[in-house]
Amino acid sequence: MGNIFSSMFDKLWGSNKELRILILGLDGAGKTTILYRLQIGEVVTTKPTIGFNVETLSYKNLKLNVWDLGGQTSIRPYWRCYYADTAAVIFVVDSTDKDRMSTASKELHLMLQEEELQDAALLVFANKQDQPGALSASEVSKELNLVELKDRSWSIVASSAIKGEGITEGLDWLIDVIKEEQL
Amino acid sequence: MSAHTYKKFENSTSGDLPDKMTIYQDCMNTFNESPVNSKRCRLLISRLLRLLAQGETFPQNEATALFFSISKLFQHQNDPLRQAVYLAIKELSGISEDVLMATSSIMKDVQNGSDLIKPDAIRSLTYVLDESTAFSAERLLKSAVVSRHPSISSAALCTSYHLLPISEVTIRRFTNETQEAVLDLKQFPNQHGNSEYYPNSTYISQYHALGLLYQLKKTDKMALLKLVRHFSENNSMKNQLAKVELVKIVNDLIYRDPQLFSQFRPLLSDWLSNKFESVQLETAKLITSFATRNSRLVAPELYAAAISALQSLLTVPRVSSRFAALRILNRISMVSPEKIVVCNPELESLINDSNRNISTYAITTLLKTGTSKNISSLISTITNFIHDVSDDFKIIIIDAVRTLSLNFPQEWKSILNFLIDVLKNSEGGFKFKNSIVEALIDIVSFVPQSKELALENLCDFIEDCEFNEILVRILHLLGKEGPSAPNPSLYVRHIYNRVVLENSIIRSAAVVALSKFALTKNDPTLYESIISLLKRIANDKDDEVRDRATIALEFIDSARNKDDVIAQNLIESKYFYDIPSLESKLSSYISSNTDSFATAFDVNQVRKFTEDEMKAINLKRKQEQIFNQKSETTLDTTPEAESVPEKRADANSFAGPNLDDHQEDLLATKYADELLSIEQIKPFGQLVNSSRAISLTEPEAEFVVRGVKHLFKDNVVLQFNITNTLTDIALDNVSVVCTPEISDEAELEELFTLQVDRLLPSEEAACYVAFKKLDEIVMEGFLNNLTFTTKEINPDTNEPFDGDEGFQDEYEIDSIFLNAGDYVKSSFTGNFSATFDELPCEEVAVFNIQEDLSIQEVVDKIILNSSCLPVESTQFAPSDSNSHTLKLFGKSALTGSKVALQIKMIKSSKGLALKVHGKGEDSLLCSDLVNGLMQ
Repeated sequence: MGNIFSSMFDKLWGSNKELRILILGLDGAGKTTILYRLQIGEVVTTKPTIGFNVETLSYKNLKLNVWDLGGQTSIRPYWRCYYADTAAVIFVVDSTDKDRMSTASKELHLMLQEEELQDAALLVFANKQDQPGALSASEVSKELNLVELKDRSWSIVASSAIKGEGITEGLDWLIDVIKEEQL
Repeated sequence: MSAHTYKKFENSTSGDLPDKMTIYQDCMNTFNESPVNSKRCRLLISRLLRLLAQGETFPQNEATALFFSISKLFQHQNDPLRQAVYLAIKELSGISEDVLMATSSIMKDVQNGSDLIKPDAIRSLTYVLDESTAFSAERLLKSAVVSRHPSISSAALCTSYHLLPISEVTIRRFTNETQEAVLDLKQFPNQHGNSEYYPNSTYISQYHALGLLYQLKKTDKMALLKLVRHFSENNSMKNQLAKVELVKIVNDLIYRDPQLFSQFRPLLSDWLSNKFESVQLETAKLITSFATRNSRLVAPELYAAAISALQSLLTVPRVSSRFAALRILNRISMVSPEKIVVCNPELESLINDSNRNISTYAITTLLKTGTSKNISSLISTITNFIHDVSDDFKIIIIDAVRTLSLNFPQEWKSILNFLIDVLKNSEGGFKFKNSIVEALIDIVSFVPQSKELALENLCDFIEDCEFNEILVRILHLLGKEGPSAPNPSLYVRHIYNRVVLENSIIRSAAVVALSKFALTKNDPTLYESIISLLKRIANDKDDEVRDRATIALEFIDSARNKDDVIAQNLIESKYFYDIPSLESKLSSYISSNTDSFATAFDVNQVRKFTEDEMKAINLKRKQEQIFNQKSETTLDTTPEAESVPEKRADANSFAGPNLDDHQEDLLATKYADELLSIEQIKPFGQLVNSSRAISLTEPEAEFVVRGVKHLFKDNVVLQFNITNTLTDIALDNVSVVCTPEISDEAELEELFTLQVDRLLPSEEAACYVAFKKLDEIVMEGFLNNLTFTTKEINPDTNEPFDGDEGFQDEYEIDSIFLNAGDYVKSSFTGNFSATFDELPCEEVAVFNIQEDLSIQEVVDKIILNSSCLPVESTQFAPSDSNSHTLKLFGKSALTGSKVALQIKMIKSSKGLALKVHGKGEDSLLCSDLVNGLMQ
């Protein structure tokens, strides 16, 4: 009996299903740091990701399959190979990099037009808030033209992967939205 | 599913492969599922791998899609699945694009993966890294190289080895770690005492480390020397392959600098008794192949030790060792068969070896050790068992016997009897019979004494021969050789029998053969008979046969009654065209088509050879086949053959006069064509003779110059081919100033010099200096100076900078000698002693050579200098004797007069004494050749 209950419970909360989450963004935004912040709770030294990193982590009874794809110009074309079955996209922006905000915006909107990502939720991290001269979350939101997004749950959270600020808040929001929309 | 079909699918040797598209679809679906089903994925990957292993392939887009779906399996942490993923990445890396996407994931495994998958991860780095990403793996590879785990270390070393051409800078950074890894005897971790799980280490990482280290240091001779000294001490090499590699490094070193050999001598003799058979083999191979090139540097004791090591390896139980030892002995037998005669008892017992390859090799080796004494007994040994073996094997034996017949023409009788016996009495397919007939044709053309007996037996053979091609060949041979035989009418009967009995192909061949008998001088009565036979054939029912008969009648008539030379030549060809040059002339004629073929092709441009010259060329080429095999030996013993391959063609090494003639021929034709297309040279008329290209500089000099001497009737042209090896300097107005050494004797008059206007880096161009000779034969040395203006190159435009005046400069190159040999062409004679006695003029000279040269080296030098053909296999000096007689035969390139040389050599402690006895039709040429022989 217990088994039946637990499996019903699982179905209810979808914990036997893995949720695919992509972390995308320009190079040097802090995607890999965020991934390992989430997985092991520490800051690891990273080098530019050639390809991708993938980790499975449990968060609030959910199994998350988090893909961190490299952000270099040469690798961005391959993002689309990993869009299928994605529940959510975390888009990381370097808030201090004002020069490339427009590039980030372009990449973001291009990605969201993809058929396979129509149902995916979007969480934007305005990262590197610990750095001097970082734009605030609302400024980043403006730069990225987030208000234009229709028919999609999205949110922007100011974060600092190094200090661990904002990451869990952002993820909590994301999980809530996914549970609401998809389970 | 029945057991039958189930098995069929699983059986790896069955031809039924899983369907390609099904596998593709399954892979795409399963790999993209979430969560990943690791068992199912592994099974699918194994099927995919089987498809690829069977040679199936996918189009690039499908392969790329497969790769991306497989890359998604990285989300699953399961070691066996991960190993399968790595295998798949390795296989797909060749056909898929964008494999670099796996880089980060692989690197993570290299860093944090389990010991089980780390080696696989490291090895797959080879396939995904490129120039721009290799540096990011530096730290990972470095720490893997020093890992205590042998598999991990080996994998890192192998990957580094393969990454060398991609990113040498990165790999060079761990030279020190690699050096340490060579001596580090790595053991598998064994802390749980579970020794069944981890095997004993073979220390293979030593081999991998040494291989990488060699690549890193191969340009630095001193470093390599130090390396060999360091690693050969204290028996520090435990791995067999590492030891073999060490031997190969020594081989490389002595190949570059033969003088180093003496210091390795103790080491080599130590290695000859190493416990590993492969080390013994490699060492013996090194010593023996080095000895063929530098016989003076190898002590006879060491050589004997190498041979006896090989001898004892012939009887070991391991098949591969026996085979390898035999293979080395076989190669020795090609150049100095007398050295391996000691192994004959072992070789004879190997004839019955159960391994076919070994028995074949044994018999061919034995045949090569044949001397005039034991040939007949060898032949009878083969006769006993040749009927029991397969065709392929028989063909190899026949080829060996053929070589024997070329080397020992005086033993033709027993060889001929053997061949005829096999031809008539054994069963065999076309290839086998054809090889026998080919051997017989060779004997007939190179051993004139054997002609009658051989032709007679071939006549018998064609009475009952089932192969058209062979029949046609024999008929052609009969037509060619028959008319000059003492009793030509004998063959006519046999040939005519074919006309009566055979099909039209053979009938037409027989008609041509018959027609050649009409003009024979040995039996004038035949003319009438042939005419009447041909007239009868002219009514044949096949049109080709009729045509041939009619045209033959026409030719015979005009040749006999109207003295038509052209018709005579068509019946009995007196000369042959130089086929490569004919081909190139014809193709340039067709492609240049200036006046839609209104002017006919001028066949006189093509070099012609007389029959004797043709035979000389053929004989040379046939004997060379042996040498080409030999030069392969010397090449493949060099580790990484790329180090010094082509340049050897210039070195006057043992193979000097024989090396790859065909290539040389093409080059000579090319040079001649270039030369004759120059306006100023055209008045000189027909090119009489061209020498081989001679190196006039060190091959690594800044400007590499090769000289060719071209001889015309009244002129001499020296061609200098200059290669500019500098990378940033162009040479302008390059010319060569030739000063005759003995300038007051003005036998030569300089006419003009053709310079090269501009020579850009790494370009080759020729400049010419032309002389007029006042005597028929002029011998002279020329001091040569290269003069030119250097100009720096602008790297952007690849042209010299504007307004650069440049520097006038000179560069001295070696002298070039025009000697008597340049006036001689090699020619063939079937019976040297008879020809020698017949020639009227005589000249004798005695030389004494003080330098320490071996007899073989002197022989090679003489052959090269005289440009004559060595006959009766006298170009091979026996290495176990202090005397040798060299017999040479040639013809004047200008007049065609014959010249023969007999050179006796005796080696003593004081040096080498030479007595040259020359005879010739032209006394001047003969004396010039004799006296100028050792210049």
